Amino acid sequence: MTLLTSLTVAVLFGSGAFLVLKHDLIRVVVGMVLISNAANLFIMSAGLTTGREPIHPLPATETIADPLVQAMTLTAIVIGFGVAALLLSLVYRVYTSHLTVDLTTLGEAEERAEAALELEAQRDMDVEEAGLLFARPERERE
Amino acid sequence: MTTILTQTIARLLLPPTFMVAVAVMVKGYADTGDGFSAGVIAGLGVLLQYVAFGYRVAERLITIRTAARSLVAGLTLALLVSFVPLLRGDPILTHAPAPNAHVIHLGSLELITAVLFDVGVFLIVFGFAVGAIGMVARAIDRSAP
Amino acid sequence: MTQHLLNPAGLLLVVALLAAPTAALAGLRRPSWAGIVGASMAGLAFGLAAWGWRAGGDRIDVAWAPTWDLRLSFALDGLAVLYALLATGIGALVLIYASRYVPLHLEHQHRPHTDEIRFHAFLLLFMGGMVGLVMAQDLVLIFVFWDLTAIASYYLIGFDRHEAEARASALMAMLVTGISAVCLLIGAMLLYADYGTFALPELFARAESSPSVTTAGALMAIAALAKSAQAPLHFWLPRAMAAPTPVSAYLHSAAMVAAGVFLLSRLYPLLARSDLLLDGLLTIGFLSMAVGGILALTREELKQVLAYSTISQYGYVVVMLGLGGTYGTAGAAFYVVAHALAKSALFLTAGAVTEATGEKRLAALGGLWRRMPLLAAASGAAAAGLAALPLTVGFFKDELFFVAALKRGPVFAALALVGAALSLAYVGRFWIGIFLGRSRAEAQPIPTALVAPVVVLGVLVIAGGIVVEPVTDLAASAGAVTYGSPTPIHPAYHLDARPENLLAVGAWALGAFLLVARPIWVGVALAVARLGERIGPARGYRLLLGGLNRFSDRIHAIEVRDLRSRVATVLVPAAVLVGAGVLVTPTRDQFLVGGVRGADLPLLLVLLLTAIAGVATCVPRDHLSMALVLSSVGYCLAVVYAFSGAPDVALVAVLIETIFALLFLGVLALLPRQVLRYESFRAVGTRRGLRDAFVATITGGFAFVVVWGVLSRPSPQQSVIVEQADLTPAAHGKDIVTVILADFRGLDTMGEITVIAIALVGLAGLLQRGRLR
Repeated sequence: MTLLTSLTVAVLFGSGAFLVLKHDLIRVVVGMVLISNAANLFIMSAGLTTGREPIHPLPATETIADPLVQAMTLTAIVIGFGVAALLLSLVYRVYTSHLTVDLTTLGEAEERAEAALELEAQRDMDVEEAGLLFARPERERE
Repeated sequence: MTTILTQTIARLLLPPTFMVAVAVMVKGYADTGDGFSAGVIAGLGVLLQYVAFGYRVAERLITIRTAARSLVAGLTLALLVSFVPLLRGDPILTHAPAPNAHVIHLGSLELITAVLFDVGVFLIVFGFAVGAIGMVARAIDRSAP
Repeated sequence: MTQHLLNPAGLLLVVALLAAPTAALAGLRRPSWAGIVGASMAGLAFGLAAWGWRAGGDRIDVAWAPTWDLRLSFALDGLAVLYALLATGIGALVLIYASRYVPLHLEHQHRPHTDEIRFHAFLLLFMGGMVGLVMAQDLVLIFVFWDLTAIASYYLIGFDRHEAEARASALMAMLVTGISAVCLLIGAMLLYADYGTFALPELFARAESSPSVTTAGALMAIAALAKSAQAPLHFWLPRAMAAPTPVSAYLHSAAMVAAGVFLLSRLYPLLARSDLLLDGLLTIGFLSMAVGGILALTREELKQVLAYSTISQYGYVVVMLGLGGTYGTAGAAFYVVAHALAKSALFLTAGAVTEATGEKRLAALGGLWRRMPLLAAASGAAAAGLAALPLTVGFFKDELFFVAALKRGPVFAALALVGAALSLAYVGRFWIGIFLGRSRAEAQPIPTALVAPVVVLGVLVIAGGIVVEPVTDLAASAGAVTYGSPTPIHPAYHLDARPENLLAVGAWALGAFLLVARPIWVGVALAVARLGERIGPARGYRLLLGGLNRFSDRIHAIEVRDLRSRVATVLVPAAVLVGAGVLVTPTRDQFLVGGVRGADLPLLLVLLLTAIAGVATCVPRDHLSMALVLSSVGYCLAVVYAFSGAPDVALVAVLIETIFALLFLGVLALLPRQVLRYESFRAVGTRRGLRDAFVATITGGFAFVVVWGVLSRPSPQQSVIVEQADLTPAAHGKDIVTVILADFRGLDTMGEITVIAIALVGLAGLLQRGRLR
């Protein structure tokens, strides 16, 4: 049982990792959800005991399942949902700002923006001369 | 999806959903279920309205603002239950009545502060579910031509 | 050994540290109050320091973090009194000067005069840091106050923050002194590792001469020498002249640069354990004297001349500490006092002259004594003091210097003579260039507050030259702390031909010759200066900084810009490490296969389904199918939970999965079809696909090993479960999981629902209408 549970966790985690490595931000979110599912299953199976549901009256002869990991998994599931919802809305925000959800496209856009900034900084002052090798000029106030 | 049938069923299902949610919460201390599940059940009931009627109609039933208020109320309630014991010199989250003391029962509802804490959890989860889906629905409504 | 704060030491510390916030608060009420209140606080601190001196010193010792053996231990000993008097006394004079100078300065630059508050507050913070530093008896405290002065100096040097030059200079000062401060910390750690204490008195008592003490001493000396702007880490000091003049005056005489030699004096008992270190100090001191002196002679700008002269003058002090002995240690203390009085007066003079004429260069100035006779006389006294002419306190500083050098040998005496001659030459050039000769610039009248502090300092320089005993006492008690035993010194005028007098006369003659014969040597000096710029340490600093910047750009490009590489750089090394760990540790009996009972069969089936659904999530191209497969993973897991005796978890999992599926579909509906289609059908290179699959496989493998390893070793301790099961009825519940959530571990739940609330706030922000960039 231990081996098989571990295998399931590993498969979920590996699939999640595979998706997280994709260019598509939506797939990245799906990958994160899979990874958190793997974590939930892991916590759940890390219980010290297995057996019947831990609700009074307790069975006299059988053991009960570890209630602590259940409480933790429960919490983890709800938090995972909150985080996944936040990630999804982040993807949507990325779309509204950049009109793409593709990491390669986003990376190219960032590179362009950075080059423009660098150019602006060099125009504003002679960076090398001032010895200010990494500070950018402050924006004028007001 | 928005047929007369679905709309009727959705509307009909709303009160029982809430009843189930309250029941799950009240019985939570004695049986399966707690504030989390109750919150999601109630949230699902509201979401059914969004699915069946669309954002504009459903918004009349329960606004995003209501969801936010529910969230704030829940957080306040939970914080109060957590930190008021400090005023009496107890550790935080000391529940009243004390262990093994007498508890007033109203059916299967026990009048203990732990249940109050669970109500706070319920309100937060409900507010989150409704708020999140409501805001996505609003965004869809806006982006539609 | 008083434990409370109501003694001179405690009061001094409190007043010095409270000065900055008090002045800032007063400044909020009216900006011009900051300077006045600050100057009074500094004056009060000066009074307390003087009281402490008269009372014979005092100490405070409060356990701060006793478990780590950290104590707030301060002592107002001789050395501390000397530097505290300088920091507060000169601080007060500089603040008086600044309360007139800074408003004018701000006016020239069209800046709001509320900036004045910042200036005074940081100057007072600097003063507080200095007072704390000199009193600290613990290496950790020394490090803290050391960095406090570095931070204050950063803001003061960069006070004209709209100027790139000021910001770059501030950064340079911060980096050079801040990075070298880490050496101080490392040195302290080395000592702690050997002796188990940071307390200086204990360390002095127990440290022996050993390689590790030498290493620690060398590291701490590096920090001190960088702060004192000794070659080759001197280049930040002339750059720091970008600061407003009062800051320079304070930095050079009583604070920043003085802190370096203070630390050397404080740690002298440790440094003296190794002759190597003392010889190193001698070398660096002489090198700085030469570099500073020659470069000071080539500079045109007033403040640059003074900056290089400071490097050279502190070179003297370092040489004296390197020479050691009674005259070396007490002489160093005497030298610091004499230099502080003279140098601050000269800086304040430079500021006043620039304020009056608008000129900064020696070539553009001259003949000003007619316009400002008082300033000329006062700064003439200060200049004479620095040049060690008779009837000034400076005469004795050179006398002590020569005595210390003579004790070591004739070569050192000769070097000392050249050094003294250089200082006469550059100070003479500075003063003569401004006040004598042909009038070249128009001078506006200047406010009294810009002249008065110079006059006070000039009078002190002369007074010290006539009645030298107070300064001698101060220096002797400071030297006693440094040297570890009393250091009686008797500087006086002796009208005979003893060697130190001959050396002094020789120095004046050589200095006067250098002054007159400028055309002969100026070409050589300029060539040296140019060579220093070409291959000097400043260039090394620039190259290093530029290289670091490019390196971080490269790392940024590789690791941060591309999320995928970043994920891979976390996952792959983790997997490799775990793999290596498994290979090297014995794995026999560490992993349990675990039996499968008949009752487990349904669970097994669902686990298999879960795994299949997990893999299946990676397959579909379109997002809708992917979302549905993802939900099926969640539902399968819910069933797993249900079979594992966790109905609560299963219920929540089902419900959450439903609501998440709805939310996911909603977000997919928000994204235009062509965006989704692009993602679904974009070409992915085979190599990249294979790479991803490879990374995913080894990541899965690593997860497998970790999870299997953990699950194979369940703790036999099950008392928690029994306890929770037993306590549940007492908590008026039946469902143990719910009771854990709401009661036993309620604080966890509290944190969690807070996270949920914050997530909704984030969601609301992200789903707002409109395009954000």
